[in-house]
Amino acid sequence: MTDSGTLRVSPVSVRRRETFRERALDRESPLRRLDWVLILAIGGLCTLGALLVWGATKPNQVAHGLDPNAFLKKDILNIGIGLSLAALAALVDYRTIRAYAPVVYVASLAGLVAVLVPHVGTRINGSHSWIPIAAGFEVQPAEFAKIAIIVLMAMLLGEQRDSVDIGPDGRDVWLTLAMCALPVLLILAQPDVGTIMVLGFVIFGVISMSGVSSRWVVGLLVVAVLGALVITHLHLLKQYQIDRLTSFTNPAKDTQGFGYNTHQARIAIGSGGWFGEGLFHGTQTNGHFVPEQQTDFVFTVAGEELGLVGSGLLVILVGVVLWRGLSIAARAGDAFGTLVAVGVVCWFGFQAFENIGMTVGIMPVTGLPLPFVSYGGSAMFANMLAVGLLQNVYMRSRT
Amino acid sequence: MSDRSRLRLIVLRVLVISLLATLLGRLWYLQVLAGPQYQQAAADNQVRDIVASAPRGQIVDDLGRRWATNRTALVVSVDRVALLRQHDGGTTVLTRLSRLLGVSYTNLKSKIQLCGPGAPHGCWNGSPYEPIPVSQLKDDITSTRLALQILERKEDFPGVTAELGAVRDYTKPDGALASQVLGYLAPITLDELKKLPKTQQDARRSDLVGRSGLEQEYDGYLRGRPGVTEVAVDHLGAVTSTLSQTVPQPGDEIVTSLDATVQASLEKSLADAVDRAHHTDVKKGGGPADFAAGVVLDALTGHVVAMASYPSYDPNVFVGGISERDYQALQHAPGTPLLDKAYASAYPPGSTFKLVSTAGLLDDGIASLDGTYDCSPSVTVGGREFKNFESESLGLIDLHTTIVKSCDTVYYGLANKDWIRDNSLIDDKKRPIEGVQHAARAFGLGVPVAVDLPGATSGHIADRNNQKLRWEQTKKDACAGAKRRPKGSYLQQLDQEFCTDGWRFNPGDQLNEDIGQGSVLVSPLQLAVAYAALVNGGTVFEPRLVKAIVAPDGTLVANVRAPVRGHLPVSPAILDYIRNAMYDVPLKGTAQDAFTGFPMGRVKVGGKTGTAEVDVQHGLATAWFASFAGRAGEAKPRFVTVIMVDRGGQGGVVAAPSVREVWDSVFGLEHHKAAFPTGAPPAALPRIAVLTGASTSPSPPPSTHALGDLFGPPGLAVRATGWRPGDD
Repeated sequence: MTDSGTLRVSPVSVRRRETFRERALDRESPLRRLDWVLILAIGGLCTLGALLVWGATKPNQVAHGLDPNAFLKKDILNIGIGLSLAALAALVDYRTIRAYAPVVYVASLAGLVAVLVPHVGTRINGSHSWIPIAAGFEVQPAEFAKIAIIVLMAMLLGEQRDSVDIGPDGRDVWLTLAMCALPVLLILAQPDVGTIMVLGFVIFGVISMSGVSSRWVVGLLVVAVLGALVITHLHLLKQYQIDRLTSFTNPAKDTQGFGYNTHQARIAIGSGGWFGEGLFHGTQTNGHFVPEQQTDFVFTVAGEELGLVGSGLLVILVGVVLWRGLSIAARAGDAFGTLVAVGVVCWFGFQAFENIGMTVGIMPVTGLPLPFVSYGGSAMFANMLAVGLLQNVYMRSRT
Repeated sequence: MSDRSRLRLIVLRVLVISLLATLLGRLWYLQVLAGPQYQQAAADNQVRDIVASAPRGQIVDDLGRRWATNRTALVVSVDRVALLRQHDGGTTVLTRLSRLLGVSYTNLKSKIQLCGPGAPHGCWNGSPYEPIPVSQLKDDITSTRLALQILERKEDFPGVTAELGAVRDYTKPDGALASQVLGYLAPITLDELKKLPKTQQDARRSDLVGRSGLEQEYDGYLRGRPGVTEVAVDHLGAVTSTLSQTVPQPGDEIVTSLDATVQASLEKSLADAVDRAHHTDVKKGGGPADFAAGVVLDALTGHVVAMASYPSYDPNVFVGGISERDYQALQHAPGTPLLDKAYASAYPPGSTFKLVSTAGLLDDGIASLDGTYDCSPSVTVGGREFKNFESESLGLIDLHTTIVKSCDTVYYGLANKDWIRDNSLIDDKKRPIEGVQHAARAFGLGVPVAVDLPGATSGHIADRNNQKLRWEQTKKDACAGAKRRPKGSYLQQLDQEFCTDGWRFNPGDQLNEDIGQGSVLVSPLQLAVAYAALVNGGTVFEPRLVKAIVAPDGTLVANVRAPVRGHLPVSPAILDYIRNAMYDVPLKGTAQDAFTGFPMGRVKVGGKTGTAEVDVQHGLATAWFASFAGRAGEAKPRFVTVIMVDRGGQGGVVAAPSVREVWDSVFGLEHHKAAFPTGAPPAALPRIAVLTGASTSPSPPPSTHALGDLFGPPGLAVRATGWRPGDD
């Protein structure tokens, strides 16, 4: 430390404003209090993800005479941008973020509306989910809406209880539900069933964890079940959506239509055995038998090419992230911090389980990426922002 | 944080752990426990078999003349999957194609329809993912232009291709069709496919299978073995590498004992017989004559030299798949051309059966060679009067004259004696002798015929035993009818009589049987075998149409001899007597008019006419002539010819002249070229021109070369099985 001598020489002088570097390396520095286990787990997931994306895309790129590493490069770029966003989200005090929660919320609503406007949003696979920005970059507002909803819910449900140890009353919950309904309805209009399911789980999780009475928890569960029944019985879903959701229950029935994806996905994973066939050596992957393999079905690459060892490691890394998230929720300095952490855990947890579950045939097929692993900018950025929030809460917690 | 939240946080931790444990457990199951099974699935996923069908073997005559062969043709195929993906399900393209090819839209549509319940005839049985051949073009300039139109206007014909492929060709050597004998090919059915071993099913999915005649009987030899190339593919079915390859093995050639020249002559003589029947008054021995059939047999070897059924059809109508309408038309055409009446159905033989009854009556002692018998105008047995043909009366005559003049009343008298003798044996609790019936079975009548063709008839010979069996099977209806119908009506009386007495073998039954009427039914082939036994010294053959099976490289696979079914239990003296009597039939008997002026000095002809009454009301009869002939001076006549004209009239008037035409052609008489100049069929096997690939003509026309260059080598239709449509 070059500046220490100066300090000793003039002890009475007005304390000079510390440089960024000093602050960063200070014993009290938030950097010293980062959750390094979480960072390592995320790093592991991102590394595995980049390899799997590479494995999924390289054979096809080669076959078409394109840059074999194009997807790998873009994925690494996404991870880099994501890390900076995470750093940003971690450094700004979350209490400041809480103050801006309504702004974030309104901004995300605007994004969700924009995506539905013709000529602004684009339609991919029958749903309006993307806004093209420039030069082939597209933004998926629904990914960011997840963060907005978590932050807003944490603000609404955690506000009064910084000191008082009681749960929010019914009015708060109703208000929260009403505020959540807006983005949910907008996403339903895209339609993006997968994101709706994630949000439903997040909303339920955050409200339950906010300390409301058990009646609310049970009531919400009942409403969710009834809602699912009504949707399926009143034919509010299109037949293809129902087919897609139910094809996993009987995969042998239709191995060419909707069941085809899950059937091929299972063959890919099952054929991996203990150690897999090695990166770039999976016949299912190289023959392009599994569709959407660098995005929604990226886990099948892990299953086929890295085997039980690789795919199991991936599941365990996800588990570490979730476990650390819950620990952060438990030791957060205030209700806002707890609820943000719980919201993020619910998000990652449900999305990861649903994504891996659909590839191994125990969950219905929905278009959800595997956090930190699937290829895709918006999802990666949103995931990284959420990790930033977790670190933010961790750094500023009481012990 | 409240205790409540703390508790719920613990619940959340448990939930996370259990969900992750679930995933790990599922992974363990998929990758370790079920791993091998999925590894197999992954291997199957990327391996496809491409099947190259083998050229079908040829069918040739005794001189090596091709009867059924293969030719290259431009085959127009439709990719059903590609068509269904079009916005209107391919209707526009199919309509356009039907206009270009000049066939109906429904015809095309039915050809690409997958076989299943309610599917039309000509439906597609192969894999739904491989191109379906819908039309074969001729090898001429116009057709070549058609193919080029399809290929050049790809945007107008998406999913349609034109390629060179091998198709069956029936070449009609010497003008001989032999349609029913050759048979035809049709796509393999789902049921047949399921019966095959699993490993063969994919390769044979779109196979053509012999459906009748020799094509069916020798299908296993003719078919050959398809070549299978195993390739690795990606998810779109694009080939990434070849894993293994077997080349197609062409089918074996079938050398028949049929002679195209004799066959052509027989076919023509049948047509002439029908014509003759039509142009002769019924009273003078003509008739409406719906159909006719004939057989020429080598009496010494049991090989069939010619076999025909009239009316016939062009066997090429089945090539490339017959349309539902054409098939129905053929099935319901007058004279049922698809049925071979020469061996697959039986008719009352009339007096030609007297060969059998004479031998039977002589053998069991009812008649004797030196006896004389009363040829009266009629005989009354059991209160019923049995008249002679045209109430002829010749007084006391010997058996020789009886045969030459075909006197029925002599047989009536003998049959009555026979019946009374058998009846008294039954009264004494002994077995009846039934000599005529025994003789009939020994001659191969009324018993299954083992010929190398599918669906041969056994015919029928009535005796006490099967009369009773039939009664037991059918009396229920008759007895019900006897109760139901108005009492005293004609039908009620018939039913009543059958219900109570139908089991009885009456004297009248024996009388009718001995002159080849009543319930006696034989096929022309059966009768030819019986007459061959008469002239060859008593050997009854199981007739054969095929002489040899030869591998494509010319090596002999098998020599086919007609097995001996048995020897007649009749003394040679009796056979000589009957044969000598029959030599007089064309000279001074019932076939005298038909053989006036025939050079008997060069070829000695014998035989027996038959006129079986089938419609007493209109005086219609089925005409027969069973004949044998050989060059004068030879010990045994070499050939037997039997011709039958259903409801054609009298045997001597309608059938015998046609047999004379056949003899003319066989021996080269009366301005005909001899089919067998030596008087016998060729002993040696013919040399067969070897087929290379599918091309048949020694120097293909230039257009074929040009197209070969255009569409790749003029090879075989290459197709892939187990194609999968892209994911959608």
